[in-house]
Amino acid sequence: MIECTHVYKRYKKGTNALYDINIKVEQGEFVYIIGPTGSGKSTLIKLLDGEEVPTKGTIKVVGIDVGKLKRRQIPIYRRNIGVVFQDYRLLPTKTVFENISYALEVINMRKSQVQKRTEEVMEVVGLKEKGNAFPNELSGGQQQRVAIARAIANRPKVLIADEPTGNLDPAKSDDIMYLLEKINREYGTTILMVTHDLTLVNKHRKRTVLLDHGHINADLAEGGYVQHDQ
Amino acid sequence: MISRIIKEGFRGVGRHWAMSLYSAIAVTITLLIISLFLMFSANVRRFTQNVEQSVQIYAGIDYDYESPEKMADIKKEILAISGVSKVTYYSKEEELEYWLDSFDDEAIKEIYAPDDEYNPMHAAFYIETEEGARIQPVAEAVGKIEGIDKVNYGGESTLSLVHAMASVRRGGLFIVIALSLLAIFLIQNTIQLTIMAREDEIKIMQYVGANNRFIRMPFLMEGIIIGVMGAILPIIVTIWSYMYLYSLTGGILLSSMFRMVQPMPFVLYVSGILLVTGMLVGLVGSFLSVTKRLRVRR
Repeated sequence: MIECTHVYKRYKKGTNALYDINIKVEQGEFVYIIGPTGSGKSTLIKLLDGEEVPTKGTIKVVGIDVGKLKRRQIPIYRRNIGVVFQDYRLLPTKTVFENISYALEVINMRKSQVQKRTEEVMEVVGLKEKGNAFPNELSGGQQQRVAIARAIANRPKVLIADEPTGNLDPAKSDDIMYLLEKINREYGTTILMVTHDLTLVNKHRKRTVLLDHGHINADLAEGGYVQHDQ
Repeated sequence: MISRIIKEGFRGVGRHWAMSLYSAIAVTITLLIISLFLMFSANVRRFTQNVEQSVQIYAGIDYDYESPEKMADIKKEILAISGVSKVTYYSKEEELEYWLDSFDDEAIKEIYAPDDEYNPMHAAFYIETEEGARIQPVAEAVGKIEGIDKVNYGGESTLSLVHAMASVRRGGLFIVIALSLLAIFLIQNTIQLTIMAREDEIKIMQYVGANNRFIRMPFLMEGIIIGVMGAILPIIVTIWSYMYLYSLTGGILLSSMFRMVQPMPFVLYVSGILLVTGMLVGLVGSFLSVTKRLRVRR
């Protein structure tokens, strides 16, 4: 599903962000990427969603070589993956319903189907009655649910979550985790979640990849946070 | 697809109504000025045509060339000059009558009327030219023809009036073009402001997989709607003010030479131009600014 082979990333300014990254994620897996600030987590996400091009190596997502995509192909590629961000990134002038249905209109889905599917995913994330609300009328947790609903609306095989609980309190974070686990379990969606919330990582144990200074320091199938000398 | 674009376009205008209103006002102001110049230059054009049409060249025939054959030859030669559109012949008698008619007072007519058969007037050709600018060269060419005694065309003042009007007309056109460009620049800037505020929005749209065309279309629609909104007031003002001015003056300014263009269908043409200009300016403005923001960063 996701395959990084000898991926290096060096920014133009000369800073090195990633060194020889090799990760293979199978379909249906739920993987954490953890690491301190500046460890290269955000760069990895940017490489995966096509925002950045690797300096060396190949990144394959759902069989597509992301680094080789032309600029115009990026939006089309992004229809294969769902992305959830820490800051939700909802369209402020559109209602909850419109935010979700937009992602479906984009892929030219028929109108009746858009309606049906949007209501479906609103139910999945538990916001069925909030369809006409605007994002700024919702709490952070609710906004993140909308973002997740939008990300899974067109049934992507891969969901990338960049610090999805970063702005939420522990209880809300737990709720989001249960939701992501449900999506992973029920739809077989491969989930790659970047986080530095160690409580979550230790509570909801999953395969965990530890990034540090651009290197993969550990890749533990059993999960849990690894204590190591700082 | 199209219904989505129209719906989204209206929604965009509605949800950013303050910015939209601001852009629409920019369109309104420029369209008002454009309208003023359109009405002005159309009328100047009409005046110029009137003046040009009423300017004729008088060519008096020498006493020695009054035989019909010789005059027929002269007429042929005049017609051969390029720029001549019409030549009318007036006999000595007609000329005398015309001259006498110019006096209102019967007593004076009596004094000037010759008492014998002697007629001091020259037979004459009155020559009209295709355009005002040709008057002078045609008059010179006519003067060189053998048998022409005297050429007159109202002199320098007529010519300079014709020239002045032509340059006013050209200047008017230039101002209209310059204003349209200014309007596009203004609208581009205002729409750019609205789009800069919405740069994040565009980025998010790209994140969920919208391609450029999908994102751009509603913005273009918004531009068109803003353009139409901005055209409403100028159209009303144009129709009302021109009708009012026409009825106030009876369509004539100063003298019968300055006859205004009939309001119907003229105001409708101007309104049409304003509407299309508004739409185009909105479209081009939003196209320029949205395209700038659409490049996917990599």
